Parts: sequence; C-alpha cells; structure tokens
Amino acid sequence: MSTEPALMSLTAVAKAIAGKTVSSREVTKSCLDRIAQWQPSLNAFMAIEADAALAAADAADAALAKGKVSGALHGVPLAHKDMYYDAGHVVTCGSKIRRDFVATTTATALQRLKDAGTVRLGTLQMVEFAYGPTGHNPHYGPVHNPWAVDRITGGSSSGSGSAVAARLTFAALGSDTGGSIRLPAHFCGVTGLKTTVGRVSRAGAMPLSQSLDTVGPLAQSAEDCALLLGLMAGADPADPTAIAGPLPDYMAATRQSIKGLTIGVPTAFYVDDLDPDVARILDETLAVLKREGATIVQVELPEQRQLTAACQFVLTTEAAAFHRRWMIERAGDYGAQVLMRLRNGLAVSGVSYLEAMRWRGPALAAHNAAVAGVDAMIMPVAPVAAPTIAESDVGNSPDAEAVIQRLTRFTRPINYLGLPSLSIPTGFTKDGLPVGMQLVGRSFDEAMILRIGAAFQRATDFHDRVPKPA
Amino acid sequence: MTKPTAKEIKAMADVTGVPVDAVIAGHIAHSMGPAFEGFAQVAGTLPFDLEPASFRLVQAAKVFK
Repeated sequence: MSTEPALMSLTAVAKAIAGKTVSSREVTKSCLDRIAQWQPSLNAFMAIEADAALAAADAADAALAKGKVSGALHGVPLAHKDMYYDAGHVVTCGSKIRRDFVATTTATALQRLKDAGTVRLGTLQMVEFAYGPTGHNPHYGPVHNPWAVDRITGGSSSGSGSAVAARLTFAALGSDTGGSIRLPAHFCGVTGLKTTVGRVSRAGAMPLSQSLDTVGPLAQSAEDCALLLGLMAGADPADPTAIAGPLPDYMAATRQSIKGLTIGVPTAFYVDDLDPDVARILDETLAVLKREGATIVQVELPEQRQLTAACQFVLTTEAAAFHRRWMIERAGDYGAQVLMRLRNGLAVSGVSYLEAMRWRGPALAAHNAAVAGVDAMIMPVAPVAAPTIAESDVGNSPDAEAVIQRLTRFTRPINYLGLPSLSIPTGFTKDGLPVGMQLVGRSFDEAMILRIGAAFQRATDFHDRVPKPA
Repeated sequence: MTKPTAKEIKAMADVTGVPVDAVIAGHIAHSMGPAFEGFAQVAGTLPFDLEPASFRLVQAAKVFK
C-alpha cells in the first residue's frame, strides 16, 4: 500500500477502510491535502467542503467501530461533476444561470453511491451545461490538465478528469452525451466508462439531450469503474428509460482472461488522420491485447459520417429545446460558445430531427451486423493528445464548431448508437501527454469492455502513473 | 437535402421565438452546414413503415458473435 492513502485505487481504499487498516478520516485528509496542493494550478473543484467531509469521515469511522457498514464504499471520499442534484446543495451545472440553484432532489446515481457509504468532498468543475468538449468555462475559468497545466482536460467532465488524474478523488461521476467522459479520460490519462443509453438512471442529472445523455464514472481503472457501475446501474421508477432486469457481475468480469476473444479495429474513419503518437499507441495497444490472447481483426464500420451528422441533429435540437426558455429570457447569462451552440439547434426542422431519430434503429442494426464477428471494437478516443488551452480557446468564432467536431469525431457516432464505451489509458506521447483508446461494446454489454480493459491494465501500468505537481 | 440558408434560419428562429440577427444566422448556417451534408444520404430515404421506436428493439435484440 502507498504511504499516501489518496494514491490508492477506489477498490483498494474501500477494502482498506472496511478492513480498518486505514480510517476514513486518514483517507479524506489525504485527499484534502492533495486538493489543497493541486487546486490552485488545476481549478478542478467547483466547491471544496473540507470541514463537512472530515465530519462525515469521522461519522463513518464511528459507525464502522460499532460494526455498522453502509455499503461497499463505506467512508470513501468522492467528488462528482457539478450537475448531479444533491438535495440541499448548490448545483451550478457549470453555469452562471444556475450559480445559486439549490437542488431539492438527489440524483438516483448519486443517491446509490451515497447509500453505499461515500463521503462528499465537494463538487467538480465542468463545461457550462455540459455543452463543450475542451474544458473551457467562461464563468469559472478553464480546468487544467495535471500532466501539463497549459493543456486542456477535455470536456465536458473537465473537473472529473483532472481530479481523478491528480488523485484528488478516487473516482468521479461524469456524463457523456457526445464524448464528455471519454475525452477527459483520454486527455487526462484515466479510465472512463460511457454506459449504454438506458443502463444507469438519469433522474436528477442535469439534462442536455434526453436521447443521448448517459451517466458514468471516471476512475483509475476498469476495476474501479466496474465497482461503481454495479452500484449505480439498474431500473429506477424516476427514470422509465433505465432498463430493468438482472445485472451482470461486473467485478467478476474484470477478473476474466481475454484469451479467445476477438477484438475488431476499424478499417477507416477512426484510423484516418491520426497524430503519429496516437497511431503508434494504437499499434502498441493491439500488440498488448494480442499478447494477452485476443485475436485482432479488421472491421468495416458503415456510415460514420452520417452517424456523426445524425448525432448533431439530435443533440443540437434537444439541447435547444431544453434551453429555449433561458435562451429567450437570459441569453446574456450564457457563455458565448454555449449560446452559439444552443442556437445551432434552431436550424434543424422538426422533420429533420425526427428523421434522425427514426434512423437510429436501422443504424444500430447495421452496426450490429458489421460487428457480428467480434466481441468488442477498439479505436482511438480522439486523433490527437491534449491541445493547449490557448489554441483550443475558439469561443464563438465562426469556425468554433469545426474545431469542436474535430475533437469529437470519434466519440459522437458511439453516442448516436447508444453503445457502451470504455476509455483506457494506453500510452504517452513523446511529450509526456496521455493517450487513451476506447473499447466499444454491444448494447448493455459493459461487462465485456470492462473485462478487456481490466486485462489490458493487468498487463500495463499506464493507469497507475500519477502526474507530479509543476 | 439542402442546407438551410442564413435567411431561412433567421425565419426558423423567429418562428421558434428565439430571434437571431442576420450575422448570427450566418454563423449557424456555417456551423450546421456539414451536418446537413452528412445526413443528406439518409434524408428522405427511410421506409414508411419503419417503427419509430426501432432503436429500443434493436438495442434489446441479442447479438451473437
């Protein structure tokens, strides 16, 4: 075990607290010390609640001393993207409009983690209303990448990616509508799970696009993500889109070998125009998976350009509909880029939107046919490692959408198809920036991508590497 | 499928009750143009009897390796 408790994995620290080899107070204090050290350079936290966290940790330790255990995460301190409603707490959604909004309900996913015994550290920064892939925020400032603080974290779960990478929290909820978990995971060198649409309840999570929004974790490892998914997933009366039925044992899946599995790599689109470092790391990743016993085959995925376009129709229209009232009444309170992107939804007619929605079934069927011979696909999350904050600060310039589309090129088709995808750290550029690859599974088969991700992480140490303060 | 012009987008925005000026309408047309081009091969081709909720059906279908 590391002498610094905050450097442990989620799974390890939960076991250590339950086994009384470390107290919740010691762990929470360790996280708070790291937050104090890193926050000035990262801006990863929206709110830091040190006193309340230590009090909750003491309560968790006292309960444990009496033999009372809340659940699998008893006494584990966590912080989440500031868009999960937590009754009685301010939830800013990264915005000026909701700067003082106090939630009256608690998000189901968050409640399930609280029921498992977690301690609240505070809340994490995010892109305004989760509508942007870089991590810029005109109201609260950009979040910085702990591997190089002049670089973006990716978004919209910018604070989640930065804080998990710097080991300020053992894990964090993010959300993924167009890549918002996978991009920060890729740019910050952590593991991020975008769940299948319908796997985790979205009740009490700030909406952006009701057809595309997904709730999922960022953490150090696939094993940690499996632990969190098992706690959060499943039916919820408050969200009829969350499916019922038995859940797989995700933790057991992470212990399985990948010997005999077949993993597909796309023949085009996801391998086009890659930065040389990303292309090299993809090849190296495939070599590791082969060594672990998987067979790698090439797969031609159909209609990626059309999927991207359909995703943009659905996302822009639904986002504009959610925000219509504020666009009329409070347009001046939005950041320029988010307002511009919300206005993009005004260009899509009702007929075009519904056509994009109706095509979703046939498009998923065509994808399923293409991947019928493989257990999962693997591909880059983005064609580049983290650009600088300055070069990606495009505001509301006429070409901003083109910049955004380039960054989200490999994530949006997966959102449109509603598929699960696990971003895992797979290497570093020659400049020391992390690079991730995404494992894409079949609908509701998170167990398979967690299994492959965990096997890769048993064979490598990229997920264990920790950035040093500048 | 044709891309909406700035003038058409301005009219749509007015009807939606979220009016934009001509410059912003031009920015929207520029930003959304590639999406309209990308979706052109699908637009107007879907069969009449396609179940609108087919996505859920396909999601639930078992896919075998």
